Amino acid sequence: MKKTLAVLIVLGLAGAGLAAVPAPGQPLKGQISISGAWALYPMVQKWIEEFTKVYPGVRIDLQAGGAGKGIADVLAGMVDIGMVSRDVHQAELDKGALAIAVTKDAVVGTVNASNPLLKDIRARGAKKDSLIGLWITGAVKTWGQVVGTSDRTEVQVFTRSDACGAAETWAAYFGKRQEDLQGIGVYGDPGLADAVRRDPSSIGFNNVNFAYDAKTKKPIEGLAILPLDQNGNGQVDSQENVYGTRDELCAAIADGRYPSPPARELYFVTKGVPSSAAVKAFLRWVLTKGQAFVPETGYISLPPDKLKKGLALLGER
Amino acid sequence: MNGGKISAFRLLKDNLARRSMFVLTIVPGLLVALMVVGLLLRSKAILAVKPLSRLLFSSAWHPLRGEFGLLPFITGTLWVTAVAMVIAVPISLLAAVYLSEYAPRAVRETARPIVDLLAGLPSVVYGVWGILMVVPFVSDQLAPLFGTKSSGYSILAGGIVLAIMVFPTIIHVSLEVFTSIPHALREASFSLGATRWETVKHVVLRKGGQGIIAAVVLGVSRAFGETMAVLMVVGNIPKVPKSLFGAGYPLPALIANNYGEMMSIPLYDSALMLASLVLLVVVLVFNVLARIILVRAERKAE
Repeated sequence: MKKTLAVLIVLGLAGAGLAAVPAPGQPLKGQISISGAWALYPMVQKWIEEFTKVYPGVRIDLQAGGAGKGIADVLAGMVDIGMVSRDVHQAELDKGALAIAVTKDAVVGTVNASNPLLKDIRARGAKKDSLIGLWITGAVKTWGQVVGTSDRTEVQVFTRSDACGAAETWAAYFGKRQEDLQGIGVYGDPGLADAVRRDPSSIGFNNVNFAYDAKTKKPIEGLAILPLDQNGNGQVDSQENVYGTRDELCAAIADGRYPSPPARELYFVTKGVPSSAAVKAFLRWVLTKGQAFVPETGYISLPPDKLKKGLALLGER
Repeated sequence: MNGGKISAFRLLKDNLARRSMFVLTIVPGLLVALMVVGLLLRSKAILAVKPLSRLLFSSAWHPLRGEFGLLPFITGTLWVTAVAMVIAVPISLLAAVYLSEYAPRAVRETARPIVDLLAGLPSVVYGVWGILMVVPFVSDQLAPLFGTKSSGYSILAGGIVLAIMVFPTIIHVSLEVFTSIPHALREASFSLGATRWETVKHVVLRKGGQGIIAAVVLGVSRAFGETMAVLMVVGNIPKVPKSLFGAGYPLPALIANNYGEMMSIPLYDSALMLASLVLLVVVLVFNVLARIILVRAERKAE
């Protein structure tokens, strides 16, 4: 009885005119399956935890495996929602993909914390041209060329081997695609972080939540964040120095001091407007109440008009 | 009369059993044919716009520009497999010889289950172990030894991990072969004054030759198809490999890594299906070749 009352209250709070929600007194029931991007995994875990507190009748299965898997699975009808951490391509939209932006994070460049030139790297940062020279053209070969000294240590460039949003977004910073990125391909976000942590001369990239420790909110042990020299003046200015903690970086992503890309929106993708009441209710909850849990989980909230757009895609006002 | 009826019924039963078992036997064979047909149908789209020779022998892999050259992946597969076999075959054969000819019974009986256990480990375990041990070993020890630089994510690392994965297969099968060789043969050899090693060389290895080939073929087949463990250490650069210390990109890794992009780029799914078909054909051709060698060796022995 108490439960029914609680559900009633929540339904009342969720607002009037929500067509898909069952009549008051009938608790929402159903199953939802989700798969895809690692970047969204911790966030969705939190959302599921909170959502099922309110709607205990809904069971949600969550699997990670890369943005590519998410979109392939959802378009093949194997899951209800695909998590996608890159822009959705036209070919995928043509196949019926409906992309709803749910939150935001970023990809950051990473270097080894015991890189002998770390002080120079922190002071001067990396110009976009140097990064293009490293990852795209291969014109930049040594750490000296990156930080503007005569150091001849070769840079060991890493990238991701699996089809993923992080690599796609990092490449988008250079106006390119994942397949254009050069470097040793390593599988998975944790794998890439690990490869960079082991080689002092290496450079790589990671999603924010794999580069920073969730507890200490500092970069994970052995990893240092590569500052971007956005205005190309050869030094990291104070407004460019945003990498100390995860919170600091998140604030910079939110107000645009960290560029986009490599900051990017994260999407839930469905195949057309979902017909299941549970899926609809979950999506709507994520776009409204679920947003309250975004900052504490290490992500950046979307502006209200973006969220409204998502609701409109679901056929709601 | 009654007895005749029963025997007719029993004959019918026998007939039925024979026929149904025949059907069950051809099912696996049919499955292979079905897979080939299925993959062929799915790769028709790309074969319709590009000649097969261009797809197989071009090394340009740029799906976005519509270039699907599979050469880097085919050579990557061959390199990694070759390295694995060069390492695995001598070590496993000598281990099997030791276990069957020299080792005391207690050692043999302990070693067997351990070897079989190795065969049962999931391949991701080998992959993680490869990243932790083999990749640093290649970059910190082997590469400096040969005077080059390597990130460690290389053909060599992939080959070493693969070699360790095929050890148990080759050891297990060749051990079976060696133990099936009649003791009388060895005793005859000893009675002529041969040492143990001479007996191994002239009797055991010679008599078990075909079995050894079968063991190696099994190992190679496993090596060709192994995906996860290799993918995690091999570096995945879509270029024709130039050095053991450079990265490679075997076919199974290509398929596993890019499964997700299938929907977003035209012809990509078709290209991946073609890659699977190529892998299947390579394994088939290899098995058929090995079979021919085996039959020839058998004839010679007769």
